[in-house]
Amino acid sequence: MSLWIYEVGLILRSPVALIATLLLAIFAGAAVLAGLHEVSRQQAAIAAIPAAQAEDNAAVAVRVAESQDAGSAAYYSFHPTWNAPSTLAFAALGMRDVSPHMLRIRALGLEAQIYDGETFNPELALPGRFDFAFVLVFLAPLFVIALFHDLTSGEREAGRLRTLEALPHGGRALWLRRSGLRFIMLWTALGVPFLLGALVSRAPLAGTAAFVVIVAAYLLFWIAVALLVSRLRWSSVANAAALAAIWLVLALVLPTLANVVINRALPVEQGSEIALAQREAVNGAWDIPREDTMRRFYANHPEWDGIAPLPETFHYKWYLAFHQVGDESVADQVQAYRTGLERRDAAARTLGVLLPTVGVQAVLTRLARTDLQAQLAYQNDIRAYHQRLRAFYYSYLFHDRPFAAADFGRAPTFVEGG
Amino acid sequence: MTETAPIRIEDLVVDYGADAVLTGLSLCVPAGSITALLGGNGAGKSTTLATLLGFVRARSGTVRVDGIDPGADPDGARRRIAYLPENVALYEHLSASENAEYLLALSGETPAREALCEAFRAAGLQEAAWSQRLAGFSKGMRQKVAIAVALLRRTPVLLLDEPTSGLDPRATADFNALVSAVRDRGAAILMVTHDLLSAANVADRICFLDAGRIVEDLEAEGPDRFDIRALHRRFAVTERAAAA
Repeated sequence: MSLWIYEVGLILRSPVALIATLLLAIFAGAAVLAGLHEVSRQQAAIAAIPAAQAEDNAAVAVRVAESQDAGSAAYYSFHPTWNAPSTLAFAALGMRDVSPHMLRIRALGLEAQIYDGETFNPELALPGRFDFAFVLVFLAPLFVIALFHDLTSGEREAGRLRTLEALPHGGRALWLRRSGLRFIMLWTALGVPFLLGALVSRAPLAGTAAFVVIVAAYLLFWIAVALLVSRLRWSSVANAAALAAIWLVLALVLPTLANVVINRALPVEQGSEIALAQREAVNGAWDIPREDTMRRFYANHPEWDGIAPLPETFHYKWYLAFHQVGDESVADQVQAYRTGLERRDAAARTLGVLLPTVGVQAVLTRLARTDLQAQLAYQNDIRAYHQRLRAFYYSYLFHDRPFAAADFGRAPTFVEGG
Repeated sequence: MTETAPIRIEDLVVDYGADAVLTGLSLCVPAGSITALLGGNGAGKSTTLATLLGFVRARSGTVRVDGIDPGADPDGARRRIAYLPENVALYEHLSASENAEYLLALSGETPAREALCEAFRAAGLQEAAWSQRLAGFSKGMRQKVAIAVALLRRTPVLLLDEPTSGLDPRATADFNALVSAVRDRGAAILMVTHDLLSAANVADRICFLDAGRIVEDLEAEGPDRFDIRALHRRFAVTERAAAA
């Protein structure tokens, strides 16, 4: 025990170690605060939905009151969906900054609504937002380098190495103790801000523990790299340069190259192209005979066929039918797009096994449910909800039933994961 | 006597790849004696110390430190050795006391404060320097800190690597007196040095090392101990051999 106390005393007198640890704690703290702020902003936006929705419904009800047309109700009514952040999302925002976490949908064509909101921000796409995962994956290795690059070489350069190693507890045990102490300092600098964030966010114990273990494992990986380099018996400057080069390759160069390779090997069209194709299909429907559209619609949805004939004048059931036909015309593209994204995601996760920088990000975003899987699950929820909305409005439209003010309250509501 | 000597080396062969450094070294340092090992650069003096400390593995031969094989149990051997390198480099930002306490902790010792003070006094370190940071210490003062640590450890073996290089004559004399005191407490002391005069003053035995083996082994005799002129001649021969 006394040896640990002496080592603590020594490291507390090392300005570089203290400043580095403090700086890392500040970065981690700032990232946790930024993450909590972002999550809180998203939660507030989601919490504001019911009031805004009630106001919106009231306005649409006034508009529809006279005609009692279910088609007008379907056309003008927006229905909110949301993907609430998990309690660990503050630590790894993942795709929540580039993918929508709220979407107001109508019972019209869905695909254009989903993929219209798909934006691509190149500034955020590569390194991601400044969150705890960013600090851990990209910045923490630099602090490992700062604390470990001269662990043994510093003693050699100061002329103390032989003196220390000639003592019974001065060989491997000494380096293990010093490495352990530096590891604990770095782990604490990252772990304490994270744990405070998890406490504020009321994150589950298992997920929090998993995060803490991953932080430790990732630090240990970089410490192992630093210790391997130190075995080459280079100077401290050479060690630092070599470790910085390794960091550059592992954290930036290889993931970027791998991203390019995966994107080239697994081409996936943009979601906006699906939106465009769906819109073209829908707009094109105005120029083709209504009967053709309805025939295609009834072929896939015979349950609505023959209930009430289509009048000569405009009717929303034709309008909604060609929207649905528009959706169905891009179904293959949608499936190909999702499959492509999933294959890319699987390739990235496979790469993560070899590349800890990628692997840790993947695991953290999975734990925080902010990854592609979570995004696709949200889309599944939207699709399921949209089906219920269609069925709801179609039951009025295709039976030529009037849509009264009270019917707005009967519209299905969105349930996350439902 | 030979079997129980704290330092015992027999037919030691050490090589660094193709370079043979020790080629059959045999040496025995009994308890309560000082042996000085002299030789030119590359004669194998430092390798001998490194082998005793367990830093270098022997290719063949026997090495024992107080009965322990340092190749097989380096920590066990190091528990029995106090080692002073040529330049005693310690932590500049720590005081003499803090440095000594830390080194002793790494040796598994936690001496009482009074014992440390006593050791500093015995080593000749002025009391005002005990709590001073080492940054301003001379080489002699640093050595006194290291000697104080060695005194407190009471190891059966003391290894000295060029201990008097860079010391002025007075500091050398002080150091020799200290080493003699450690010897009188029963330690076996092996001193690697280029300082012939200092070796002649303090050592009980002087061994000349050349090409990895002892080529001359002289014991102190009579009041003059050693024939300085003969030592100089012998040393000149080994230095020339090393240069060649």
